[in-house]
Amino acid sequence: MVKYTIKRLLQSIITLFIIITVVFLLMRLMPEEGYFGSGYEKLDEAQREAILTSMGLRDPIHIQLWNFYKGLLKGDLGTSIIYRPKVPVAEILKSKIPYSVSFGLAAMGISLFAGVSLGIVMARSKSKFWDKLGTGYIVFINAVPAAVYYLFLQLYITDIFKLPILFNPDKPSSWILPAISMSLGGTASYAMWMRRYMVDELNKDYVRLARAKGLRDKKIMVRHVFRNAFVPMAQYLPTSLLFTISGSIYIESLYSIPGMGGLLVDAIQRQDNPLVQALVLIYSSIGIIGLFLGDILMAVFDPRINLQKKEGAR
Amino acid sequence: MTDRKVILSVKDLVVKFKLRGKVLTAIREASLDLYEGESLAIVGESGSGKTVLTKTFMGLLDANGWIDSGSIIYNNQDLAKFRTEDDWVKIRGKHIAMVFQDPMTSLNPLKTIGKQVQEAVELHQGLKKDKAKNAVLEILNDVGISDPEKRYNQYPHEFSGGMRQRVVIAIAIACRPKILICDEPTTALDVTIQAQILGLLKALKKKYNLTTIYITHDLGVVANVADRIAVMYAGDIIEIGTSEEVFYNPQHPYTWALLSSLPQLGVKGEPLHSIKGTPPNLFLEIKGDAFAPRNPKALKIDFIEKPPYFTVSPTHKAKTWLLDPRAPKVEPPESIKKLRQQWRVENV
Amino acid sequence: MSNKKFDKVADSINESLFEFAEYDDEAAKRAGYSNYSYWRSTWKVFMQNKVAVFLLGLIVVLLTFTLIQPYLPNQKEPTKIYIDENTKMQLRNHPPDSEFWFGTNSIGQDLWARIWSGTRTSLLIGIVVSLWEALVGIIVGALWGYVRALDRLITEIYNVINNIPTTIILILLTYIMRPSLITMIFAMCMTGWLGMARFVRNLIVIIRDREYNLASRCLGTPTRRIITRNLLPYLVSVIMLRMALAIPAAIGYEVFLTYIGLGLPVSIPSLGNLINEGRALMMVPSLRYQLIFPAIVLSIITISFYVMGNAFADAADPRNHV
Repeated sequence: MVKYTIKRLLQSIITLFIIITVVFLLMRLMPEEGYFGSGYEKLDEAQREAILTSMGLRDPIHIQLWNFYKGLLKGDLGTSIIYRPKVPVAEILKSKIPYSVSFGLAAMGISLFAGVSLGIVMARSKSKFWDKLGTGYIVFINAVPAAVYYLFLQLYITDIFKLPILFNPDKPSSWILPAISMSLGGTASYAMWMRRYMVDELNKDYVRLARAKGLRDKKIMVRHVFRNAFVPMAQYLPTSLLFTISGSIYIESLYSIPGMGGLLVDAIQRQDNPLVQALVLIYSSIGIIGLFLGDILMAVFDPRINLQKKEGAR
Repeated sequence: MTDRKVILSVKDLVVKFKLRGKVLTAIREASLDLYEGESLAIVGESGSGKTVLTKTFMGLLDANGWIDSGSIIYNNQDLAKFRTEDDWVKIRGKHIAMVFQDPMTSLNPLKTIGKQVQEAVELHQGLKKDKAKNAVLEILNDVGISDPEKRYNQYPHEFSGGMRQRVVIAIAIACRPKILICDEPTTALDVTIQAQILGLLKALKKKYNLTTIYITHDLGVVANVADRIAVMYAGDIIEIGTSEEVFYNPQHPYTWALLSSLPQLGVKGEPLHSIKGTPPNLFLEIKGDAFAPRNPKALKIDFIEKPPYFTVSPTHKAKTWLLDPRAPKVEPPESIKKLRQQWRVENV
Repeated sequence: MSNKKFDKVADSINESLFEFAEYDDEAAKRAGYSNYSYWRSTWKVFMQNKVAVFLLGLIVVLLTFTLIQPYLPNQKEPTKIYIDENTKMQLRNHPPDSEFWFGTNSIGQDLWARIWSGTRTSLLIGIVVSLWEALVGIIVGALWGYVRALDRLITEIYNVINNIPTTIILILLTYIMRPSLITMIFAMCMTGWLGMARFVRNLIVIIRDREYNLASRCLGTPTRRIITRNLLPYLVSVIMLRMALAIPAAIGYEVFLTYIGLGLPVSIPSLGNLINEGRALMMVPSLRYQLIFPAIVLSIITISFYVMGNAFADAADPRNHV
């Protein structure tokens, strides 16, 4: 187990390194105006060059990269120029993260519970009512862009249930709708996976043997099938969690939640390059980290993966 | 033989499946009597219905299958009439248990084998926790798994094929059944392991007083273990008798063909015998004897009327019109005649 | 079988029936013949799915309508601003009536025309992107699968690109290249081909290694026939599935980018733009129609493509064949 973890860790770090480098290089192509704020027109060519040089943007690429990594290790993600001039990005993030994380966790909790339950119900009532209903729900969520149904939810549900439209940290009821909206996508995904894996498991030979033993179907579901079906799902969980925590861009702007997702939108709209860069890097890294954690989680649940010599269940 | 008790009696069973919108008749009025304490082998090609037949004894038919008519009498109950899980749970394991074909996939990969055997023990022997674990260790010993303490905590993928099959057998035995059905128990195993597993099954049968049914297409296995042989073709049992009777005095043309195709009966230098054609399409209704189209010596009536059982001896019967007094005398193929001679030589 | 029944049967049997019958070699083999055609079965199974067939019809109608709409009589231009004859003011936020079937937007443009124009734009993006995906995806996937030397390299590249969320790449590219129709199509093409390439590559690898293909090769089947009989059916169905799903995906991304502010310029109507415009006014109940109409059209399109794509993929799966 330890060997496997270390191997995966190293793999992830290497890929992470490559990703950060690639993104960093790509960011060098960002429009220059983003480094100047409103003063861009007022400065002439020489002044602009001077400022860019002072920011290190005219250095050779490998020097820029090296400096960047140095700063990264110190926790320096750059300094915002337009959004909050002269404020380090890291500090801006600090105030935003708690909101995104709390909503993310809430949404994740709801979607995991609702999704897995729905998936189980769907698998058990295969091709009957609940399965059809669940499938309809999943189709809708997958086909229609989230922006659209989020809007309608905000529009009509707030009316029906008299919920506040915008988020207010002081009003607990204003947490409900954003959290639920955020969980809709996750619910659909988990339900779909759970159903698929459970149906797969139900067709397997060992289930047949369990029935031949004289076990009742219900017991088989709980003791054998559910646990086995959950294992392949485990690998998706950390990635899902991390992405949900990083803040849904839509939800945060819709409900004016001061989280990380909304921050990205603002940064883009105001063309604050260092902030955009930092956020993009963070989002890019999340994927890898989630994947790594997912693999470890799977290994915990599935004894077959532990041994290095045997092949993994993926 | 006839004073032995019949514990399971199948009469004119018809089993159908709904497949892709069409109806397939998998078992066509099969009848069978199972005697207490015997070892019966059901032989036939793939698709002849051997597994489906035994699945009906335990209610393990796939969801798209059903018993159309006929009866399965066990313990004064008609299993064919069972509809609910409650009914079947009383039979499965406790009375009838099954050993499946593929040990690789028959075990839950994410549970230790100890837990899986213990599940059966707790369910059927009414033991709990430590007592149950001890029973499990004892059973593991019985089936020839060494170092049971260590093995108890291991997972299926840590076992070889033969060992896994022993575990599956252990689970079946743990249920303390009256009837044990072994569905091609050695087909997925190496030849060397086959002999061991068969030996194990024979020993267990003796120890636990089981009645066993072997499903196989391997006549070698049959010769090894069976008291009686039932030959199945296209969903019907077309010949049934003691091993000796079926091997040395077969009456149905299909049995002739089957035995003739044994490589062991081939003559050096001559081409091996094979049966022309393919088994019939079970989606269509079959008129008469199902084997007729492939039988060069078929009678006209074979295509019209399905033959009933004709008695050859108190223990041997076959469904073929050739046994009707009005039928012409048909000689079995050379290889079969040789078998007969051989038997006479050895037994007279 | 009771003896009585048997006797009855026995009596009625004519002696002559106990003569030998003619042995027909062909009849012995006939039992197993099947008349199976892959595409015919696929079509048949698809046709059995009433919902999918209905949606297919719906899409065909919608597509045709979108294309011919500008040429129908009495249609207005999507970008023309309409002035009220009497007040000489812009006909802003006019609710739906007999002249403006979907009403007008906040600067007096005809919503009906705008929606269909927007649909055309969005569909255009979707179709171009999915065609590109298919083209590049297949080529890269095939090379990736066949040429063993490239396998390692492309796999590493794939891993890196795949792990960066698509939305981030889209945001990045659009941010760098400035929002426009070309940028959007470019960005989506850059990210879209990955999935298709992976699919094709997996298929090719399997094709090479599957036993039935080895068996075909052993039998001397020419490569061309292996490709058309074994590989092509999978490929075509996979391609069509992904193309069908690419359209709702493209629309989704377009809406997403527009939301962030990296969408198409307002002069080009698109479903994303329309939704965004409607969103600005959604708090006013009387003006909500500006959000509802584009939303409904968008939902119909995305759901139809999604369901149809999946239904076709299911139908193409040989396990579901009759």
